[in-house]
Amino acid sequence: MTVFIRTLISGLNLGSIYALIALGYSMVYGIARMLNFAHGDIIMVGAYSGIVAVMSIGLPPIVGILLGVIVCALLGITIERLAYKPLRQAPSLSILITAIGVSYLLQNLALIIFGPEQKAYPMFSGVKSFQILGAKIDGITILTLAVTACIMIGLNLFINKTKIGKAMRAVSEDKGAAELMGISTDRTITVTFAIGSALAAIASAFYGATYVYILPTTGSMPGIKAFTAAVFGGIGSIPGAMLGGIVLGLIEQFAKQYISTLWSNAIVFGVLIIVLLVKPTGLMGKTIQEKV
Amino acid sequence: MKKFLAVVMALAMVFSFAACGGKKGGHADNELYVGAIGAATGDYAVYGLAVKYGAEIAVDEINAAGGVNGMKIVFDFQDSQGDPESAKSAYGKLMDWGMDISIGTVMSGEMASVTAESANDDMFMISPSASNDTCISASSNAFRVCFYDSFQGTAAADYVKATLSGKKVAVFYQSDNDYSIGLYDAFKAQAAVNGTEIVAEQSFTSDEKDFTTQINTLADSKAEVVFLPIYAAEASMFLSQAKNGTDNAVFAEGVYFFGCDGLDGILEVVDNVSTANNVVMLTPFAASSTDADVVSFVEAYKAKTGGTVPNQFAADGYDAVYVIKAALEAMGVSKSSEVSGAKVAEAMTSLSYSGVTGDMTWTADGNTQKLATAVIYNDGVDTEFGK
Repeated sequence: MTVFIRTLISGLNLGSIYALIALGYSMVYGIARMLNFAHGDIIMVGAYSGIVAVMSIGLPPIVGILLGVIVCALLGITIERLAYKPLRQAPSLSILITAIGVSYLLQNLALIIFGPEQKAYPMFSGVKSFQILGAKIDGITILTLAVTACIMIGLNLFINKTKIGKAMRAVSEDKGAAELMGISTDRTITVTFAIGSALAAIASAFYGATYVYILPTTGSMPGIKAFTAAVFGGIGSIPGAMLGGIVLGLIEQFAKQYISTLWSNAIVFGVLIIVLLVKPTGLMGKTIQEKV
Repeated sequence: MKKFLAVVMALAMVFSFAACGGKKGGHADNELYVGAIGAATGDYAVYGLAVKYGAEIAVDEINAAGGVNGMKIVFDFQDSQGDPESAKSAYGKLMDWGMDISIGTVMSGEMASVTAESANDDMFMISPSASNDTCISASSNAFRVCFYDSFQGTAAADYVKATLSGKKVAVFYQSDNDYSIGLYDAFKAQAAVNGTEIVAEQSFTSDEKDFTTQINTLADSKAEVVFLPIYAAEASMFLSQAKNGTDNAVFAEGVYFFGCDGLDGILEVVDNVSTANNVVMLTPFAASSTDADVVSFVEAYKAKTGGTVPNQFAADGYDAVYVIKAALEAMGVSKSSEVSGAKVAEAMTSLSYSGVTGDMTWTADGNTQKLATAVIYNDGVDTEFGK
């Protein structure tokens, strides 16, 4: 029982990090109709920003995280302006390749600036742990879960209740019609990138707190897993991204605990294939009628 | 056109022969050209540079003391960035330069790519640090200073038996890495021979960063020794996650984490030196040793690099140059044109040399026979363990 609870909690922790990243993937896809493969590397930038702020400048950890959020949001906007906006009318394949290019650009920039050695992420040390039904639970895990849940609720309110949120939904449904109604597509997409990248920065703080060491390639694997989570939950859907991330994290940890550490990735992606075969739009994806 | 091509080909052949023939004739007989290949830039530079600096210190010391039987050593280190293909071309460059004898390459992959050619050239090589079991088998003139991988696994199992007898042992290894698997297999086989009980085995792959389930399973097994045949970067992730902050270590107090030469340099990569507490590392070289040779080498290395404490690679590089000196002196060679790879190789099997990495003898297959000792880390300080 203890082992089960422990695996459940560590799965939820990993899943929350995936979910935070997947939210960014999903929002950008839903609104700009593009796969932003550089999204994973934003996490890495966020983590390095935190390290620089706390270790080199000496700011308190919470300010370091906020700084990371601001840096990432600005970076997201810049990438969108410089790399994606000029290609808005181009075929989606060109944008996809550009995104992969941006991803490698960010990784190599980090390699030049910070070097290939791992850097330790300094925050949250000293958060106490809890006992739940005999299982020892790390305080950071609880914090990750709580913050992710709050963000998901807040984001849902934002999308459904605010004016910008309404604009986002309009752009995602029909770009042309939205523009005719006086909505600025460019501004909406910019806001989307800023929010997605800010979420990635928050994910980076939890990633750093849980796994400690940051490398220039840190973002790539969580990025791929989060993209998988977004597709799994139904890309474009916000609760879908959340659900996809959590389910993916749980499958991964339970597979590792009860089946095999060697097979966990194969199992994760195997489940994805099965879900997509049965429900091609993902767990919470809407079936979109193609207009002919 | 055909004629032109024929002339070009003929010229190319003439030049390539000239390059081959250039080995011994390029320089004076009282100079001994020693070559080395390794990464001086790129991801593996930390290993290559350590060997380079270690070897350079040895060269300076030997030259200051009158050289090898009167021959002055001229040393050249070619940068390969750790890439086996670049190592090949670096080897060609060194041959053109007039290399007489070589301390080989820093990494196993590089060594494997040059040994066959070095056998043809009758070139003697003693690699400081190429530890893969088979990387020197293509040449009977290729030797090494460091342990070979499967020997380390066996030695680790014996060491655990001798110093931590009766304790429960668990293993955490990297399932997609040759070095890790090699050590793990050898350890497991020897543990079975020794009657050491392995209570849990967990693995991970290179793209994995979350070790929570593995760590919990290992801790649940009540293991008192965890064998870590992995590299320092992965070990630091494992240990940080196992310690989980400061107040809530997953493993019980007093559990030992036992690793081999892959853990070298762990203090430089952990977030906090206390993370590496209770790490025991099997190594032929301890910078903290009070042995006079080691102390003077550590001082010289610190002076050369601005205060860096030498690791095992540096010590291996230092010893490799001295082993060449010892072998040539034992043979009585005093002219660099008389250095023959096969003859040096023959002399190696009857040589015994006592260096900063221990007392060494060699078998005909090029492997070193020396004692493994272990150090234990506590709050950033290493002390000898179990002796």
